Amino acid sequence: MVWTSLLTELAKGTLTTITVSMAGLAVGMLSGLLLALVRAGAVPVASQAIAVYVSITRATPMVTLALLIFFGLPALGLALSPLVAAILIISINTSVFQAEIWRASLLDFPRGQLDAARASGMTRVRTFQRIVFPQVWRASLPALVNEMTLVIKGSPAIAVIGVVDLTRVAVRWTTQTYQPIPPFLTATVIYVAVVMCLIWVQRYTERRIVEKYGIL
Amino acid sequence: MIENFGIVLGEWRLLATGLFNTVWICALSGVLSLILAVFVSLLLVSSRHGVRRVAQGAVDVMRAIPFLMLLFIVYYCLPAVNVRLSSWTCGLSALVVYNTAYFAEILRGAWAHLPREQTETGHAYGYAGLRLYHRIILPQIFIASGPVLGNQMITLVKNSAFLMVITIPDLTFMANQVQAIYFVPFETMLIAVGLYWVVCSTIEGTVRRLDRIAAVRGHE
Amino acid sequence: MSEARTPGDPVIEVRSLSKRFGTLQVLRGVSLAVSAGQTLCVLGPSGSGKSTLLRCINFLERPDEGSVYLRGERVGVHRAGSGRERAMTDRELARMRTRFGMVFQQFNLWPHLTVLGNLIESPIHVQRRSWGEVMAEAEALLDKIGLREKRDAYPSRLSGGQKQRVAIARALAMKPEVLLFDEPTSSLDPELVGEVLAVMRALAREGQTMIVVTHEMGFAREAADEVMFLDEGTVVETAAPDRFFGSPATARVRQFLQRYA
Repeated sequence: MVWTSLLTELAKGTLTTITVSMAGLAVGMLSGLLLALVRAGAVPVASQAIAVYVSITRATPMVTLALLIFFGLPALGLALSPLVAAILIISINTSVFQAEIWRASLLDFPRGQLDAARASGMTRVRTFQRIVFPQVWRASLPALVNEMTLVIKGSPAIAVIGVVDLTRVAVRWTTQTYQPIPPFLTATVIYVAVVMCLIWVQRYTERRIVEKYGIL
Repeated sequence: MIENFGIVLGEWRLLATGLFNTVWICALSGVLSLILAVFVSLLLVSSRHGVRRVAQGAVDVMRAIPFLMLLFIVYYCLPAVNVRLSSWTCGLSALVVYNTAYFAEILRGAWAHLPREQTETGHAYGYAGLRLYHRIILPQIFIASGPVLGNQMITLVKNSAFLMVITIPDLTFMANQVQAIYFVPFETMLIAVGLYWVVCSTIEGTVRRLDRIAAVRGHE
Repeated sequence: MSEARTPGDPVIEVRSLSKRFGTLQVLRGVSLAVSAGQTLCVLGPSGSGKSTLLRCINFLERPDEGSVYLRGERVGVHRAGSGRERAMTDRELARMRTRFGMVFQQFNLWPHLTVLGNLIESPIHVQRRSWGEVMAEAEALLDKIGLREKRDAYPSRLSGGQKQRVAIARALAMKPEVLLFDEPTSSLDPELVGEVLAVMRALAREGQTMIVVTHEMGFAREAADEVMFLDEGTVVETAAPDRFFGSPATARVRQFLQRYA
């Protein structure tokens, strides 16, 4: 049982998991915000189309989405490397949940502050920039970090399309050495540690924000 | 593209089998998880400090593990300790264990938010212990956490797709079979996505209906 | 008892303002005029349209009929050189609104900015005045309202009365031509009402042009130059406070005063 070799492999897998997850999250957050803004702006056809798209995508399992993107897109002429596909899959999946998070904060936004902004001569754009967004991103932070933990927990789906993430490393090690317990136990510990870290960060940011600003 | 959809729909029997398997394995594991969760939630609110700590720790760890990892642990690690299960049993057990933790946490949260008057009124009318829990508290908790439980059911359905990795013939597995045979991946997976949407929307709709019935009966 | 003021050209003039919400007619042909340095108090029962009137003046709500003038300029409507009229764009309206200062019943401070941040936000980012000038102005205003030590505090840490004083300072920081107050003390605990009214009385004395929608009869009696009674969207009576409270001309006002004064 070559521990150093196993740990190196697992470390590489962990790095892949985290970088792909974070990349997917970043893209997902931006696209989620865009989706939420279009819906909040009540753009005639786009809003309804987005509502349907969000509803369907939220009901789609990660594995199914992975197969759709990785095998389906090339059939339409768009071939992607497993890594790019993985980032795309994660971002599509998380963007619809992010959209709901942003949308909840935007809808909830106290109208009185918008009145004060308009009365102070701010245009709609400037109101969003200076008043709405600074509060909405802070208020959504706990939900966003929570979404991060969900992304990490859903990320093993990318192992199915060939990305060597933490899960795939554990499986590969098992099939090569017929010793499943060391790799899976260690991989589990790593996943739990990462998720627990994120949960701690979520609780901490939530507390700090309430301490500083009150309930936004 | 239209012809491709035709090809896929030609294999509707395979897809129907997959859909059926997905639905019944989700329903079965959902029910089992919920029943087990009731007992686990009792542990989570136990007055015995040690019991509570251990139970909460186990639930927290289970909620931090990716489902596919748990599935693989059941599938690969159990044989190493001489527990040999069929892939169906593996899949089912993984789903049940995983969701029991989530359901238990949801029920615990709902109990924590239950107004104290409910328990006190129950005591006043002579209910105690298990009967109090069974007749007074449990129904309230279920109704209060309806939507959240519904969401978790939807998550369960989505997690069930991972079962295809250990070759359980669920919807995603069957869809993958079809697309591999006929080289129509896009259309096949799109139909699979549509079917998952139908299943999840049904769950959502049922939860909303039950919620409305509960509201009519005077619950919040 | 307010001092006599020299009447000048009206700062605010409202002509036959009407506003409907769905099937509910809230304002019916309301007209008023406020001269420079004057304080107009608008009284009336709940639902009489007082808030709506105020919000129509700075076009937070668009009136259905009638017109509003700020120092002779039409608010909300742009008149081209050719004489063609069209509704003002969001941007034009925003620019015009900087000449009004509005104080809300719910304070509406921006919670993610400090007290100082709230004061300087619009002058710097909307009016684009120089940092130095705005900061000096803001510090002076904080002194004036007596909250110098709360400069770097966040609104969540302030009492209702303190929040409203900051809100008044925020409105003043824009150097407005007129101040609009929408029931500024209605959300305050009784002990805190006094500190806000004190600031408002001082402003009235200094010659600020103000339109105040309020239930505070004492304030109206002392600080107003004119009192207007609004009921069900129409102006019932407008008079100087002595006349209004002493010997009102209409039965409706007499009835109202019996209940509240």
